[in-house]
Amino acid sequence: MNATIGILDAAYYLPPKRKLLADIFRDEKPQDDPLAANVDFKRDIGIEAVHVAEEPASSVALQACRRVVEQAQIDPRDIDVIVDFTSIPEDYIAPTWCAAGLVQKELGATRAFATAINTGGCASYQQTLKSVCSLMSTNDRFNLALLFAGDKVPEFNHNYYPVTVVCDGGGAVLLKKNHPRRVILSVEVATLGKLYDVWRVPGFPHRDPDHPEDHSWMHVVGDIPRFNSEVIPANLFMFRKVMRGALQRVGKKAADVQYYIYPTFSSWDQRAFCRAFMIPLEKVYTDGLGRHGHLQETDMVLDYVDAMNEGHIRDGDLVMLTTNGAGFSWGAALIQH
Amino acid sequence: MVSKNCLSDRADSRGCATEVLVELFLLDKGDFANSIDGTWLEALFMDGVMDGVAVGVVSAASRLPSHKHAIAELFQVEGVDLTEEIISRLGVDEVPLCNGESGSDLAVAAAREALERAGIAGSEVNVVVDYTILPQEYMVPVWNMSGKVQHEVGAESAFTIGFSGGGSSNFLVALNFAAAMLAADEKMKNALLVAADVTIPGNRVLNPSAPVSVLGDGASAVVLQRGATAHCVLDTELCSDGSNHDVYCIPGGCLANPEDPSLYRLVLDKARYDAAPKTETLLRLAQRVLDRASLGLEDIKRVVYTNVSAEDQAAFQQTFGLGPERMCTSNLAGHGHLQGTDLVLNYLSTLEDSSLLPGDPVLICSHGMGFMAGVSLIEV
Repeated sequence: MNATIGILDAAYYLPPKRKLLADIFRDEKPQDDPLAANVDFKRDIGIEAVHVAEEPASSVALQACRRVVEQAQIDPRDIDVIVDFTSIPEDYIAPTWCAAGLVQKELGATRAFATAINTGGCASYQQTLKSVCSLMSTNDRFNLALLFAGDKVPEFNHNYYPVTVVCDGGGAVLLKKNHPRRVILSVEVATLGKLYDVWRVPGFPHRDPDHPEDHSWMHVVGDIPRFNSEVIPANLFMFRKVMRGALQRVGKKAADVQYYIYPTFSSWDQRAFCRAFMIPLEKVYTDGLGRHGHLQETDMVLDYVDAMNEGHIRDGDLVMLTTNGAGFSWGAALIQH
Repeated sequence: MVSKNCLSDRADSRGCATEVLVELFLLDKGDFANSIDGTWLEALFMDGVMDGVAVGVVSAASRLPSHKHAIAELFQVEGVDLTEEIISRLGVDEVPLCNGESGSDLAVAAAREALERAGIAGSEVNVVVDYTILPQEYMVPVWNMSGKVQHEVGAESAFTIGFSGGGSSNFLVALNFAAAMLAADEKMKNALLVAADVTIPGNRVLNPSAPVSVLGDGASAVVLQRGATAHCVLDTELCSDGSNHDVYCIPGGCLANPEDPSLYRLVLDKARYDAAPKTETLLRLAQRVLDRASLGLEDIKRVVYTNVSAEDQAAFQQTFGLGPERMCTSNLAGHGHLQGTDLVLNYLSTLEDSSLLPGDPVLICSHGMGFMAGVSLIEV
């Protein structure tokens, strides 16, 4: 069995409405505490504005899915599996519901089965790649897969102090078996389960019934002291673990990697990643940070597409897509162009 | 150059001190680029190592709350009339209810028991897979209890993954993906599948105007192993009907309807549920699986099905032409519907049947409330 699985196409959708960072800070009033002696969250984050969806999260996802189907010129009836990897709350409550069935219906992907991967936070893309590539590798019946995510944060929850400011948008990727370009060589994922309660959204049962207008139960809540004392110190080590794992699986070295796709959290985070791994900043796609900020798991799709379109990735390049995510998980995927 | 201890102290005291942490990282382990072993390692992930690798269920366990409520009482609490006709149609006498326990606590207990039965330490688990279908302690997908399970069972080297949608068939989705990961990746040996479903208070009678099921609380866990010699997962077929994506959902308490508390409940669109060709789809999928295994339905020794209701079980038996002796129905009366845990409970009960012999084929089937149909073939 030939288990060469490649990225047939990838696309994203950003809603047209934009909101300036200054307006987000005005409306949401993030903390003023300095993160470190030389880092100020508001001043140094490096984000100018984010996109804000006025349509449902599933519509954002669907727009991205339609784009990738159109770009790839495939018949949706040929899709064998559809996986939603959205990592923030969707239109209806998960895990009871996911948007994959809706996308299946709207695209007319009648042959597929539709499900969602609901773990990993922003690393859910790598988890999904690993799962779907395994399924396609072990099963002759799975040849074409649609992976997608659609993110719409609740109003007044764009600021994820002390990490980033988030944007709405959707991304979609088509994986095809026996596709010789953009081949997924390996995927590595790791989770630190002890951090399971550091980052969460409380949910409807935790609302204040006396204040129904208060939707903060839908907002992310971080245990900042534990984030600082447990997540941050582990972060680079976990990045190294998954990147090294992905490289070792295929006998590659870090020096073989021509380009990195890394989350657009903040300027200081991007710099720290580059410095820790001795990667020149020009080998990491950072241009999107200022334009749109962070798109959760969709960073991995959006930044990958933009990096290709802007000529940062060339034929023959080995590309590392790596990220961390709430939960907390880390993921790394190696793509051979 | 500062010392490692000095850097640790500074990181602790200053929180998110990025520069300090980068220094610490570099001091502790050296240069990433130089530390990679350059020897050629087998490309395990994509080289077809999965051919011929068996993946089997080496253990399973459930954990149910000790507290039970008679359905007469539940119907009264929820203001639903309970008639003889409904009692007969549902076939449920009582259901287990959480009484202070959290879903994730039940899941951890079920996971520990499954691991113990398998003789596997938590540290040997490579992936924790969540097939829960009802809301968890915090909002999914930002939060997922699989991280807590990983931590509590000591599965430090595992990663976690969870699946959404499809009602009870979510178990078969999880089984399918987990089996594929174990088969595809030589570095992975054991998968721990786990779920805990706790019903929203006041929401146990599904579709009160014409009750379809009664929901209980419970958790279950399954250990899958690469290289297993028994209870091998031979094949799985899954099929979703996108037009029924919202046939079984909780429409409130999320982005679509954040305001209205009355919408924060599990609802079933009964008209679409009734119209869905549920058992017919399952028969079609079963025939595909059986054809690939060169088996006929008559070769199947036992069928594992869900506990939605007696009426639903009867419809399934009729479509499949099954006599009552070939399907476990004994858990329905005392448990009601426990989502994916139905399949684990009924699988365990099926294995207790002394007439079942090693190598006998067993089908596990679930219609996923008309959205997601799934059939797995297991050789016990």
